[in-house]
Amino acid sequence: MFSGFNKTVIGGSHTDSGKICQDYSEYYVCENYSAAVVADGHGSRKHFRSDIGSQLAVKVTLSTLSEFLSDMDEFEKSFRDDPSRVIKKIQKHIISYWNKAIAGHFIGVPITDKEKEPFTDEQFRAIKHESMYGTTLIACVMCKNFSFGIQIGDGSLVTVNNYAVAQMPIADDESCPANLTASMCNTNAIDLFNHFYTFDELMAVFVSTDGLFTSFGSREDFQDYHTILVGLLDDRDAFMNAVSKNLVKRTNHGTRDDISLAGVYSQNLIAANQEAIMSQIELNRKMTEIRKAEHKAKIEKQKAKAAMMRNRSDSAPEPTQKYEMESI
Amino acid sequence: MKEMLEKELDFDDDPLNAMGVSRKSLVIFFLIDTSGSMKGTKMGELNTAMEELVPEIRRIGEADTDVKVAVLTFSTNLAWMYSEPISIEEFEWNRLAANGITNMGAAFEELNIRLSRNSFLNSPSLSFAPVIFLMTDGYPSDNYRDGLRRLNENSWYKYALKVALGIGKEANDEMLAEFTNSPDTVVHAYTGGQLASLIKKIAVTSSQIGSKSMTLSDDTIGEIGVDDVTDSKQRQLEKEIQDIVKADEFSKDIPFDSGW
Repeated sequence: MFSGFNKTVIGGSHTDSGKICQDYSEYYVCENYSAAVVADGHGSRKHFRSDIGSQLAVKVTLSTLSEFLSDMDEFEKSFRDDPSRVIKKIQKHIISYWNKAIAGHFIGVPITDKEKEPFTDEQFRAIKHESMYGTTLIACVMCKNFSFGIQIGDGSLVTVNNYAVAQMPIADDESCPANLTASMCNTNAIDLFNHFYTFDELMAVFVSTDGLFTSFGSREDFQDYHTILVGLLDDRDAFMNAVSKNLVKRTNHGTRDDISLAGVYSQNLIAANQEAIMSQIELNRKMTEIRKAEHKAKIEKQKAKAAMMRNRSDSAPEPTQKYEMESI
Repeated sequence: MKEMLEKELDFDDDPLNAMGVSRKSLVIFFLIDTSGSMKGTKMGELNTAMEELVPEIRRIGEADTDVKVAVLTFSTNLAWMYSEPISIEEFEWNRLAANGITNMGAAFEELNIRLSRNSFLNSPSLSFAPVIFLMTDGYPSDNYRDGLRRLNENSWYKYALKVALGIGKEANDEMLAEFTNSPDTVVHAYTGGQLASLIKKIAVTSSQIGSKSMTLSDDTIGEIGVDDVTDSKQRQLEKEIQDIVKADEFSKDIPFDSGW
C-alpha cells in the first residue's frame, strides 16, 4: 500500500526579512501510484512571483502525472518499451502546462505598482514573464512495478531500496555552481531536466529542495538521513512531528533557506523490513565513524610528511645567495 | 521504531539530529608559483605571509562560515599541499621551496578538474562561489591559454572571485588580467614588504567578500538575484583591491629585482 507525505518550512532568513516562503510541496496517493513533488521558487529580485511559480509547478506536475497515469496498463506498456522517451514526454507536458498556468496568472493578476517599484521602466521591460515565476522542480513517482523521477534545477532525489540503502540516482548538475540553478523559466528548460527510473522495488523515494541538502556536511550524511527517515515512517504522526522539528532546526542553524521535503513509500515493505532498516542505520553510523577517523588520519599523515620535509630542508645549508634571478 | 532507535542505537531524543547541521562553506584556492625564480626572498616572504595569514582567515571562519583552504603549487610539477580542501581550523601551512619552470597552464588544467562537484567541491554545504588567488613572478613556460580556455568553460571558475598577485617586474599583468577577467583585481608587489602585506590584505578581503551572504539586500529593492550578487561581489572586490593598492606605500623597500 502506497503512502506519502510533504512538509515545507520557511527559511530562517526569510522569516527575519519578512519574506514569504518560496518553496512549495505536495504529494498524491492512489491505488496505482503515488507521487511527491517539491519546487523552490528562486525568490530573487526579478523572480518576484516565484512563490506562485513554485506552487503552479507542483500542481501542474501532479495533474500531468494524473493524466499520463490514468490508464496504468497502457502507461506501463509504453514505459517498459522506452522509459526515457515517456519521461521526456511528461517533462514536455509539464513545461507546457506550467507556461500556460503562469501566463494565465499573469493575465488574471495584473502586475501591481508595488511589484514594479524596484525597477526602472527599462529594467522591468527586460524581465521575461517566465522569469518572474522562475522555480526549480523535482518529482518522484512510485508505481507497483517501477519508479521514476524528474528534476530541473538544484535539490535532491533520494531512493531507499529494499536493503534500506539510500542512493541519489540523479547526477549533480555541474553547470550550476553554488547557489545558481537551472530553472523552469529557462527557454531551454527541456534540455535542463534530468531523470531516473528503475524497475527494482523501492521502499521509498524522497524529493527535497536544496535547503535540506546544503544543511549537511557530507553527501553520505545526507543519504544516511533518509535511511533514518524510512526507519521512522512506521508511525506517521511521530514521523511528521520529528520531520517538522528537524527541518525547522536545519533552516535556523544551517543555510537559513526554505526547506521542502516530500516522499512516497510502501507501507508494506517498510513494515516487513524493520530489521533490515535498523541494521542499515547501525551500519551507516559505523561507516560514518570510520570515514571521520580515516579523514583525520589522512590529514595528520600529510601534516607529518610536510613536517619531515621541513625538518630536512631546515637542516640543509643556507643558499649562498638569498635571491637569484633565474631566466625561465 | 523511534523507541528502538533511541534505545538500541543510543540516539538522543530525536534520531534525525544524528546528522549535524552544517554552516555555509567557502573554499579558498591558492595557486602558487614555486618555479626557480621564486627562490630566496620571494619564497621566504610568501611562506611567512601565508603562515601569518592562517589565523586571520580562521577569524573570518569563526562567524557563520566554514572556510576551507586548498593550495596548489606549480613549477615543473604540480602539487596540492593537502589532498583535499581542509577546514581552516585544521590547516597548517607547509613552507614551500622553489625550483624548476613555470607550468602555469598545467596548473589551470588541474584547477579545472578540481573545480567540480565530483572533486574538491563535493561538500553539500558549499554555499559560496570559491575564491581563487594566483601568485606568480613570471610568464608561463607552457601554453597557458588551453588551460585558461578550459577554466573559462567551468561554471565554478566563472562565478569565482579571482585575484592575481604579480611578484617582481617579470610578472605579466596582462596575462594575469586574462586569468582574473579584470585588470582591477590584478596587483603587483615589487618588494618583500609589499608582497607580505598584499598577500594578507588581499586574501583576507577576498575571503570576507566571498563569504558574505549570497542574498544581499537593501532598503529599496529587497533581495538581489544571484547574478546581481556575483557582479556586486566582483565590483566590491575590485574597489577594495584598488583601495589597498593605493593605500600601500613601500617605496623605501628594496625591490626584488634589484638583485639582493
